[in-house]
Amino acid sequence: MIQYHPDNNMLLEYASGSLNWAQSLAVSAHIHFCPQCAAQMKMLNNVGGNLLSASAPVASAQREDTALFGDLMQRIEARENEEREEPAAPAKTVKERVSRDPAFSAIPPVVKKLLAQNPVLKWRRLSKGLKEARLKTGQNQLEVAFHRIAPGSKVAEHDHRGKEITLVLYGSFSDGEGVYSKGDFLVREPGQVHRPTATQDQECLCLSVVEAPVALTGLLGRMMNPFLSLKPQ
Amino acid sequence: MAVKYINRGSAATVQASEKTRDDEWSNLLVRVGKDRDRASFEQLFGHFAPLIRGFQFSRGGQSSAPEAADELVQEVMFRVWTKAPTFNPDKASASTWVFTIMRNCRIDALRRSSRQPVTDESLSVEDIWDDSQDEQPLVFLQQSRNQSAIAQGLQSLPPEQSHVIEKAYVEGKSHSEISEELGLPLGTVKSRVRLALKKLQSTLVR
Repeated sequence: MIQYHPDNNMLLEYASGSLNWAQSLAVSAHIHFCPQCAAQMKMLNNVGGNLLSASAPVASAQREDTALFGDLMQRIEARENEEREEPAAPAKTVKERVSRDPAFSAIPPVVKKLLAQNPVLKWRRLSKGLKEARLKTGQNQLEVAFHRIAPGSKVAEHDHRGKEITLVLYGSFSDGEGVYSKGDFLVREPGQVHRPTATQDQECLCLSVVEAPVALTGLLGRMMNPFLSLKPQ
Repeated sequence: MAVKYINRGSAATVQASEKTRDDEWSNLLVRVGKDRDRASFEQLFGHFAPLIRGFQFSRGGQSSAPEAADELVQEVMFRVWTKAPTFNPDKASASTWVFTIMRNCRIDALRRSSRQPVTDESLSVEDIWDDSQDEQPLVFLQQSRNQSAIAQGLQSLPPEQSHVIEKAYVEGKSHSEISEELGLPLGTVKSRVRLALKKLQSTLVR
């Protein structure tokens, strides 16, 4: 049962198209798991549809609509002829190695696509029990990565310099505030210190989107800080 | 920009006729999808092209050039034709469906104009704004009731709430951009949005 969702403000920014690319990706993946947010999206799109049909009609300043329609049909016909001659290439498939991994067995389609464009995941050990693989998303302002926490492992306590979104894809983890399992969507603001721990019997896979690198709190943390190597792009 | 809902005439009749008309656009869209019917498509073009332009013009700023508006129309209607076979009137009304396509076109245009190179391997807008995720279609009647419930709900929002909703959707602004522009604290913008959505939510058929 999913208990943590993007808030209505974030869903509205996603529905209206102003939420940034990487965070939208995380929202989209959450919606795949969450019928409740899918229903909310339906309403939010409906609001957009109503605003469109209520907008004041404006005639083209350049040409008649019939002429514009003619142009459009020409473009459509040209495209359709092209496709008849050269059918589109089949979509790339995700590498087998990853798809045989149980943690990746039930990931949302958008995350599968993301994997397809990152065929080789480079896992880096950040600390004992915690691994990270960064992903290319076609934008650099935000860092998108997979994190894997080994069963029962505790991640060093850390703070965030920017907003961090975490979506649980497999297994579960907990911190001082709750237990999070598949589909849960967490937002941590800068200043919210936490120390995630994976459940004993299963490893945990998360997708995370971070505005700025994570900072470890405490002197010990700073000395052994596995996150310090994370640099803004 | 003006808050159009408030000035709209008295309305049970207006709404009833709008609802039927929206059904009509949905039927045309189904015909375009099934039969690739050009005449139906031309009617849809005649209806939506001026609305898309109107929507785009309300944005203000650099993107309201007439060329840009016509370009947006061409791009949106091109995708409407291509995607029409996937249109399902039980899931969304024609205007909602066209809205989502228009939103995706705008996101695409923004990405192209930004300095970030968009490579072929990148995820497409449709991958992220994937409206096929919703596997639970409403019955048609419920769908169209909700459509008119939301239309009514939008009209009854207090002006300060409908204003932020329009800024978000029509102008495509984030909450922080709206807060800067209106000189309001971010928290105020957020709470206006939340109140508006709560009200709209309460109008829906369960």
